[in-house]
Amino acid sequence: MSQSKIILIIDDDPDFVDGLKSILKKANYTVDAAYNPKDGFQALQSKRYDLLLLDIMMGRGAEGIMLARKLNKDPKLREIPVLIITGIREQMAFLFPGQAVHPHLLPVDELVEKPVEPKLLLEKVSTLLKTAETRKAQTKK
Amino acid sequence: MENKDKILIIDDEEVVLESCTEILATSNYQLATAMNGDKGLKLMKDFQPDLIFLDLKMPGISGFEVLEQICAYDPTLVTVVITGYATIHSAVEAMKKGAYDFLPKPFTPEELRLITRRGLEKRRLVLDTIALKKEKEMLREHFATIVSHELKAPLNAVQQNLFALSAELSDKLTDDQNQLMNRMKIRIDDLLKLIHTWLRVFTVDIEKIKENFTKISLKDIITKAIESVQPHATRKDISILTSGKEVQSYIHGDEVTLVEALVNILNNAIKFSRLQSKILVSTETKDDEILISINDSGVGISKEDLPFIFGYYYIGRSSQTSERGSGIGLAITKRIIEAHDGSISVDSELGKGSIFTILLPIVKSKSHNQSTKKSEVYSNSQKGVAK
Ligand SMILES: Nc1ncnc2c1ncn2[C@@H]1O[C@H](COP(=O)(O)OP(=O)(O)OP(=O)(O)O)[C@@H](O)[C@H]1O
Ligand SMILES: [Mg+2]
Repeated sequence: MSQSKIILIIDDDPDFVDGLKSILKKANYTVDAAYNPKDGFQALQSKRYDLLLLDIMMGRGAEGIMLARKLNKDPKLREIPVLIITGIREQMAFLFPGQAVHPHLLPVDELVEKPVEPKLLLEKVSTLLKTAETRKAQTKK
Repeated sequence: MENKDKILIIDDEEVVLESCTEILATSNYQLATAMNGDKGLKLMKDFQPDLIFLDLKMPGISGFEVLEQICAYDPTLVTVVITGYATIHSAVEAMKKGAYDFLPKPFTPEELRLITRRGLEKRRLVLDTIALKKEKEMLREHFATIVSHELKAPLNAVQQNLFALSAELSDKLTDDQNQLMNRMKIRIDDLLKLIHTWLRVFTVDIEKIKENFTKISLKDIITKAIESVQPHATRKDISILTSGKEVQSYIHGDEVTLVEALVNILNNAIKFSRLQSKILVSTETKDDEILISINDSGVGISKEDLPFIFGYYYIGRSSQTSERGSGIGLAITKRIIEAHDGSISVDSELGKGSIFTILLPIVKSKSHNQSTKKSEVYSNSQKGVAK
């Protein structure tokens, strides 16, 4: 088998992160975690990740969104596929009035609600990884 | 002192200005005077008074015009008009235009002091009310954030770990142990849903949906609502049938909330029906209105409960069901329908079933727009729904 994929989780709730981690590790992913956007951004700059799991509501509001926008401006980091995890659907609607729930912050992103069933989580993760790979192959040509 | 109450007096008679100043000087007020309307209005902006005394009869710009400009500048300013003795009717006129009270000439010092105190009291009340309203609005907006972080976050963490544990352990646990796991998950899920509903009630201003009304297809919302409750119906082996030719009609409204309204009624119909029964959703047009009725043959609603079911947190006594709700569904539904200028009513007989009827104003469609295409797609899936 090829080397296991490396995933970074950025979420300010360590207990929640452990729940996700355990599911992902069992599916043979390597998982790192950062508990605030700042550490998360540093981790992304210092190491190559295959996928990012990003919480929206951190700290004093929608700091996850701000981080996603920041990533989108970076030509290299914006290529990382992102699974956005959010606790509150209506808050998303509130942040993006008049838009569909999924905000599409980055070229390859998806949205799941907290808490997320293992099956759904693993499905989303593998789909995102595939989409990102296809995209990479296309841009190389 | 910084916060002295400020009073502006606008009158063309110097005697009046002087005597007022003298009378009020004994109290702790900050005073300013103007000899005509123009000067008065200019002073109002510089001086920022709390209370204005305004003579209605002045040369130049009229008292009424000044009053109008005061109200336009700051509707929270309190204005008392000073009127000649026999001109009660212009005083009434001024109060209709926004004056708080009137002071007929000639007046005694005590009358002036009294009306000044009342005027300033009124001003404080107005400002307090505004401050309270703002605070309430802020609380409401922050409520979502607070509740979600303080209540939902821990539950999310617990649930996520339960998910992880039960996935890891499922083949090591006995059937009974797996059952326990599942029950824990269900209870936490219920709790999360409950918080969700509360959030919805407290934070969403349903009137706001009016800002985003568009032309939507009736067929679309019915199909979407049925799709969304289908798993619930399937679990109880209940079939949802649709009838009516008028589904081509259009409504001016908000799709998401209208679907939510229908989902609430459909979920109730399923919840309060026996296994393997049928629910009928029918539509028809009546003059300028579209009528949607949802008909179940479930437990029905007693006469005592009937007047209350659209209220908040009301749960009928007659309806015994294992699926306990929070009594919010119909209250929200009613508000959504009314925000669409529609109405909702119910007819029910205990033991026989219930009919919920929604009336909504119809949009006359001369030409079809792009949503026609969308409803084609849904008509396919609807066949699967109504078996
Ligand atoms: N189709 C129905 N058949 C019988 N009783 C009904 C029906 N629909 C509503 N009711 C009665 O009206 C009450 C209020 O309904 P509502 O939808 O507001 O609350 P709920 O279903 O109890 O809780 P929630 O919808 O918030 O989960 C119900 O508790 C039930 O007693
Ligand atoms: Mg209900």
